[in-house]
Amino acid sequence: MSQKTYKPKDAPTLSPEVKVDEPREAVSSEERLQIERPSLRDWMDLRLGWYGFVRKNLDEPMPAGVGWWQTLGNLLMTLLVFQFITGFALAMYYSPSPDSAHASVKHLTYEVGLGSFIRGLHSWGSTVIVIAVVLHMLRVFFWGSYKKPRELTWVVGVIIFQVILGFSFTGYLLPWDQKAYWATVVGTRIAATIPVVGHALLVFIRGGEEVGALTLTRFYSFHVMLLPASLILFTFLHLYLVRRHHIAGPVTPAKGAPVPFYPNQLFKDAIVLLFGVGLLIYLAVALPPGLEAIADPTGTDFSPRPEWYFLGLYELLKVMPSGWEVVATVIIPTGITIGMFALPWLDRSKSRHPAKRQWIIMSGFAAILLIGLMTLKGILETPPEHKKSEATLAGSSDIPKAEATQLESLGE
Amino acid sequence: MPKDNLNQDNIEISRRKMMGLVVGVINLGLIGAIVGPMVGFAAAPLGNKRKSRWVELMDESRIKPGEVKEVNYSLLVVDGYHEVEQKFTVFLRRSEEDVICIDPACTHLGCRVDYHADQHKFICPCHGGVFDDEGTNKSGPPPKPLERHPVKIEAGKIWISREV
Ligand code: HEM
Ligand code: FES
Repeated sequence: MSQKTYKPKDAPTLSPEVKVDEPREAVSSEERLQIERPSLRDWMDLRLGWYGFVRKNLDEPMPAGVGWWQTLGNLLMTLLVFQFITGFALAMYYSPSPDSAHASVKHLTYEVGLGSFIRGLHSWGSTVIVIAVVLHMLRVFFWGSYKKPRELTWVVGVIIFQVILGFSFTGYLLPWDQKAYWATVVGTRIAATIPVVGHALLVFIRGGEEVGALTLTRFYSFHVMLLPASLILFTFLHLYLVRRHHIAGPVTPAKGAPVPFYPNQLFKDAIVLLFGVGLLIYLAVALPPGLEAIADPTGTDFSPRPEWYFLGLYELLKVMPSGWEVVATVIIPTGITIGMFALPWLDRSKSRHPAKRQWIIMSGFAAILLIGLMTLKGILETPPEHKKSEATLAGSSDIPKAEATQLESLGE
Repeated sequence: MPKDNLNQDNIEISRRKMMGLVVGVINLGLIGAIVGPMVGFAAAPLGNKRKSRWVELMDESRIKPGEVKEVNYSLLVVDGYHEVEQKFTVFLRRSEEDVICIDPACTHLGCRVDYHADQHKFICPCHGGVFDDEGTNKSGPPPKPLERHPVKIEAGKIWISREV
């Protein structure tokens, strides 16, 4: 087994005195093979090796000092399972076409029994996941847990983070209401600010020049096929790496021997799940999801705003002077992403202690402060009252309607 | 004898290497066989070219010099797998000499600008871009003037051309 060939230097081990539940199997698998009439449990275990696997994970040694901060990963896993299940349920009623998307969401929210609750779980779930993932990343960051040999655990984590942002960007469009449509018009236009290839990229993302039917099918296919598949893959890889390298203890080793994962840590995990999932259910019930008017490319009585966790970027766009938007749309976000990927190699200090890696901690604080303040600014700033000036409206109320049949096509 | 054995080993190794190589090449082929068409399929919309069409908007007499007017119209356009009647908005601005047609899509990130007649300005609700009544960018993030559509006046009617 891998344990024989690989064992990290700082791997925590349970001292023999620590009490764990006795392995159930008093006899070896060889001996059990010989049992004439094995119990179903023995029969299954012989084939699956399941109990050994469960046992090993329940006995996983937790260094002293590991506790509440290490429960976030488990919370994330649970929330992801919730997202998968509610997403699967929503897809039973949803139809990804501009003709029917809005109507199908309206139907499932207001007419289907429990529809509002299921949709609430899914949409609030994305928010709670983003909060939990950010907290999880911050704890790994301040603990310096990304250092050797856990670099790839971190890198896979950053990939997962990108996938989660991809989920929220593509999912936001699906209800096909005003908010969805305009956030996507603006969000996809960001691609067009990239020099040279920008326009081609925009058409590729939208599936055409404008946000339309093909944008919706494209986003839908990413949201329900590619992103979930990648998320599952990378999450398993992440968990495998977490177990392979074991949880890193506190930056200054705490007194005391490692204890098994079960029951102490699992108990803390369960408490956090109770509150995390409880909060999610509360939000889904107390603040049921809404639906705005159907997407309207001509509508003016609407001021587009993205999902709250993209508001930082939105505010950044406001302060960029003309001609510099590529800095806000591409350079800063890409820079932060590259910095995140490269973090384990940027931070060369041997020690995980924050005092021993001051400039990394400082840049981390700076980035968090920038993103946090910008997001806060975006949240606090009530959308500017976006009234049509009456004078213009009066003149144009008798709208001429050029009939499609009247058109003559002149070509280029 | 020992010499023979050595040769045997060499043959064995190069045979292993050869087979490994073939497996690798086949695998690359398999990846190419699915990724290539996949990328082409997903990128197909890049090949679509837009054509410009002339659209009749309204009587010339309905807009006076110095006025800016919001005009909504709809067109039958192909949107992916279906034809839809899509609504569009443009602003017409008439000066003493001519009529210009301004597209409301902000040149920053595409929000729809609003005309504020009292200030003679187009203002974008998104990141606060401001344009004068001819569509020239005045302040805020927009990098260039609002786009214009060609206009012609024929038999007292205003026509504009747009790409769809
Ligand atoms: C939905 C996404 C994620 C899930 C389900 C997940 C799950 C977990 C779990 C269960 C653990 C062990 C317990 C704990 O420390 O909480 C863990 C540890 C870790 N995670 Fe995540 N994680 C996710 C996202 C991320 C992200 C976005 C990053 C960083 C960018 C990251 C980096 C790490 C690292 C470096 C560790 C090792 C910590 C240590 O050994 O002390 N994870 N993750
Ligand atoms: S989209 Fe108009 S200012 Fe940004």
